[in-house]
Amino acid sequence: MAAVKLTVENASFGYRPETSVIRELNLTVESGTLAAVLGPNGAGKTTLLRCLMGFLKWKDGRTLLDGVDIRQIPERKLRSRISYVPQAKGGALSLPAEDMILLGRTGKMGFFASPGEDDRKRVRRIAEDMGIERLLQKKCTEMSGGELQMVLIARALAAEPELLILDEPESNLDFRNQLIVLETLTRLSRGGMAVIFNTHYPDHALTRAVKSLLLFRGGENVFGDTAEVVTEDNISRAFGVEAVIREFETPGSMIRSILPLRLTREGDGARKAEAEVVAVVSVIFGDYEKAGAINALFHEYRNDVLGRMGMPCGTSHVINVILRGSLGRITALTDRLNRLEGVRAKATAAPEEGDDQW
Amino acid sequence: MAVGNKTMADRMPPERITDRKRGQILWTAVLILLPILCAAASLCIGRIGISPADVLRSIRGHLTGGEAVSLMIESTLWRIRFPRILLALLTGAGLSAAGCAFQSLFANPLATPDTLGVASGSSFGAALGLLLGLRLIGVQIMALAFGGIAVLLTVLCGGGRNKRGLSGVVLAGIMMGSLFNALISFVKYMADTETQLPSITYWLMGTLGSAGYRELALGAPPILLGIALLLLLRWRLNLLPLSEDEIRSAGVNAGLLRGCVIVCATLVTASSVSMCGQVGWVGLLIPHICRMKFGSDHRKLLPASVCLGAAFLTVVDTAARSISPADLPISILTAMVGAPFFIFLMRRTEGWQL
Repeated sequence: MAAVKLTVENASFGYRPETSVIRELNLTVESGTLAAVLGPNGAGKTTLLRCLMGFLKWKDGRTLLDGVDIRQIPERKLRSRISYVPQAKGGALSLPAEDMILLGRTGKMGFFASPGEDDRKRVRRIAEDMGIERLLQKKCTEMSGGELQMVLIARALAAEPELLILDEPESNLDFRNQLIVLETLTRLSRGGMAVIFNTHYPDHALTRAVKSLLLFRGGENVFGDTAEVVTEDNISRAFGVEAVIREFETPGSMIRSILPLRLTREGDGARKAEAEVVAVVSVIFGDYEKAGAINALFHEYRNDVLGRMGMPCGTSHVINVILRGSLGRITALTDRLNRLEGVRAKATAAPEEGDDQW
Repeated sequence: MAVGNKTMADRMPPERITDRKRGQILWTAVLILLPILCAAASLCIGRIGISPADVLRSIRGHLTGGEAVSLMIESTLWRIRFPRILLALLTGAGLSAAGCAFQSLFANPLATPDTLGVASGSSFGAALGLLLGLRLIGVQIMALAFGGIAVLLTVLCGGGRNKRGLSGVVLAGIMMGSLFNALISFVKYMADTETQLPSITYWLMGTLGSAGYRELALGAPPILLGIALLLLLRWRLNLLPLSEDEIRSAGVNAGLLRGCVIVCATLVTASSVSMCGQVGWVGLLIPHICRMKFGSDHRKLLPASVCLGAAFLTVVDTAARSISPADLPISILTAMVGAPFFIFLMRRTEGWQL
């Protein structure tokens, strides 16, 4: 598969001239990348996808595909490179899945043409790859949500795109079907496709996406590596809930997961992040060479540091640092420590009055 | 045969597929033969009964230049019945195809060829022509022109960039329909009650009796062109009920496709109204009957609708001209046959879907 690179430069969009849904967005997604778009209801996730594909026009800025403005790419060529999977809502056609998937190949045919044997073979192969060949003769109106979603993804794949864009592909699905869809997206991106999907679940971004874009109401946004974007602080700011990110040890892997705790009041998130707390940051690591990098990080926060103690424990080394500083800074520090290879860090804040979380 | 044996069940699909192929060939043959047989039967049936042998002899006479059967039979067959049957075949096929395409275009099972107001526009044109005392050919041209004008106005009013998508066009179509219906009432009000009003009223109810070869020469090409284009677009009609984003994402120019379908359906409907007035029900009834039997894939649905529509209207028109000495208006019969049959089918198949 040819490499593809989608770039958005300084893009803004608003339905009315005086308001912005999206402001100064920059992002890059390349072949082999699975990227998630997160944001609260009404933050403009679907709008963003539509702008990205050129269905809506950016007010400022542009979308580039391999460095070429998509407005300069002929429509048919563009659509054969980017495929779109809409939200699987009701109102599906009563066509059998095979015909539904075949519709995805229409752009490759002449204006008066009907699909031929070759198209049918490709559809069969895509269905086999996705494990849905048993659905081929089933009518879309008689399918479950999960089945229909897989058929819609297959339809988008039938156009043999390099970039796949999906609007909430795992909404309204049960656990199993969510996993089936996410597995499919992961597999496609590993196969060299660039995949961008909207989601309501920060967990899905944390566990699956390499890159994430977080949209705030009012048009602000952050884009980058998922670990840097999907943080407790950002999530609480975007969704207006207090959330914690924890690691689960599962057989075979560590999984980062996010749990919403409670609503924050207006401005609560900011106040909370700015609040001064006393906290202890515990760091454990094996390779003593890492101590340099860790100390360098603590040095950056030296004004917050109250005291520290370090000791070797067998093959591991432990550093405990007590800090007084804003919760936001301490969380950021812990996140940065955690991103060092072979280093685990955890922050524990001193309990406050009426605070039973710590 | 071992019941519940999995390996047997695995071997089933190929057999079923050949079964399905055989079924497909059978149905294709039935659908192609049906309108031909109906037309042939219709040649024999009427106020004057003509035996199939006489019909065959007359056809042979025409083909080989042999002797004519009898003057009366010749004239009944080829001056009266044959053009009328041609008109029934064309109109039935055309209105079914247009209805089928519109139901897909508007993603609405209740769409008819008249959804954009073309039939009302054409009827007004014809009524105005009759009021002005034009000859039949003039009435026909007026009907064609006003059908086109009505659709153009509808699309201009309801189309353009808005969030409603096609529902704006449908609403504008309903408005345009009632506007032209009001204009028709106005024309009727102005018309001379002794001579013009009856002819306008009778014409509006729809009859295939006024058809001659001259009217067909003007009216048939647009219908044939419309049907042919729709048949060529039959695969893409499947895309139409999807959202605009989905159609575009498939690499298809949504506006161009929709425009083509509207133009084709308008050609067909305006032209058939211009020749035989408003023929209701065909465009709604036939596509749904076909949908129940052949499914929603327009590769099968549209050709089936064309064939069944042609046969249906031929049968109904034969009844219309045979039941009473004066032609029964065709819309009365299509509705009386269509509505109950439709309800029967709908209940038996638990509703319908696009």
